[in-house]
Amino acid sequence: MSRGSSAGYDRHITIFSPEGRLYQVEYAFKAVKSVGITTVAVKGLDAVCGVTQKKVPDKLIDPKSVTNVFRISDHHGCIFTGLATDARAQLQRTRSEAADFKFKFGYEIPVDQIAKRLADINQVYTQHAYMRPLGVSLIFMGMDDEKGPQLYKCDPAGYYIGYRACAAGAKEQEAINYLEKKLKEEEKKLSFDETVQLALATLQSVVAADLKPSDVEVGVVSKDHPRFRILTDDEVEQQLTAMTEKD
Amino acid sequence: MGDSDYSFSLTTFSPSGKLVQIEYALNAVAAGATSLGIRAKNGVVIATEKRMPSILMESHTLEKISFISETTGMVYSGMGPDSRVLLRKARKFAQSYYQTYKEPIPVVQLVRETAFVMQEFTQSGGVRPFGVSLLIAGCDEQGPHLYQVDPSGSFFAWKASAIGKNMVNAKTFLEKRYSDDMEIEDAIHTAILTLKEGFEGQITEHNIEIGQVTDNQKFKVLTPLEVKDYLGEVE
Repeated sequence: MSRGSSAGYDRHITIFSPEGRLYQVEYAFKAVKSVGITTVAVKGLDAVCGVTQKKVPDKLIDPKSVTNVFRISDHHGCIFTGLATDARAQLQRTRSEAADFKFKFGYEIPVDQIAKRLADINQVYTQHAYMRPLGVSLIFMGMDDEKGPQLYKCDPAGYYIGYRACAAGAKEQEAINYLEKKLKEEEKKLSFDETVQLALATLQSVVAADLKPSDVEVGVVSKDHPRFRILTDDEVEQQLTAMTEKD
Repeated sequence: MGDSDYSFSLTTFSPSGKLVQIEYALNAVAAGATSLGIRAKNGVVIATEKRMPSILMESHTLEKISFISETTGMVYSGMGPDSRVLLRKARKFAQSYYQTYKEPIPVVQLVRETAFVMQEFTQSGGVRPFGVSLLIAGCDEQGPHLYQVDPSGSFFAWKASAIGKNMVNAKTFLEKRYSDDMEIEDAIHTAILTLKEGFEGQITEHNIEIGQVTDNQKFKVLTPLEVKDYLGEVE
């Protein structure tokens, strides 16, 4: 009697399955992985760095127009992993919320607040049938003058939490395993370079290939340079070389 | 609510007269981390497990126990994102009550309103029930109160209760240990012991959260140091 009554709708819209799960949300997570891109982000002592793969699908496409790393406001940025079109929609919403906050309160929205706001929006899509959950995971990075470097991840389920290091996308689990091993000791105080290199090393390890600057996008924000920025190819090359030299 | 193309309810009766969506929501709650609450003579304590799936997550950024107003707080078991919606609505209602009556909201009225919201989502068009049960704790003129609110919107006042994964064992433990003349300090110790019963691994001040409210003290979430002291006392 309970088997037929949901009439299989639990796989089409976000209502509960018999075990109390939301299949649509779980499928949204799969959509994040389906794009085949992995993102890794690491928080250091006074810097945060996020690295994402850059896959240009066609040689004729202008590589400058392919990007998943965006500035949200002066001191923070976001990396979107998952369906590109859903990511655009989320980006618009994120920027609009951040701008609203600045207008209303006169100062930049703190990273945990913008993460919470987006997570609450994601939650609405998991509860209302008229809109599907979006297939994007968002990783927010920023510099807070009181709390220091911040790293938050929001997922399609509406869950958000702060991280020392996190990953999203196709090789998320492998990246997390790698990071857990590296950061097992409690209070590793990573410098700016160590932060960037750990993120790059993690990505390199999970994609099992040597990275070139054109394969990745690196977004950083640090105490010395509190303005969120994307590293140039030369800077990325520097970090990659320093990384290989260490080995 | 009543979204454009979904003017029909997603929660409908099965042939046997059950609302299966609500039952499934309760399954989602039963899969969540254990939370419990104990009402003492002079206050209420609520506590929860806060186990992070990865060492990379920072547990202090996740707030499972939250204050609703100065004299009330809540903890949830189940889907965290859903609980944030209810928390926001509860806070707004508490403030709006204060604005009208210039008095802190009586706990039962706050609970009633929150339960009403949860019931709405079991009947309105195009929405699913909330996948959380809440334990709302508060002190008002009638004394200390502990209420449990379920996804169906039904609520009960409890002397002590537990929700989530380990609720059956926890409630059995609480039944044995509860006494009507408990003071808040005993209640906190009992809460910790109850959590310990079903806890996998070592309990520390970073993987549990405790909140308390007393007759003459505002609702507060204990700091990790305070929790550590209580853990030491319990050993």
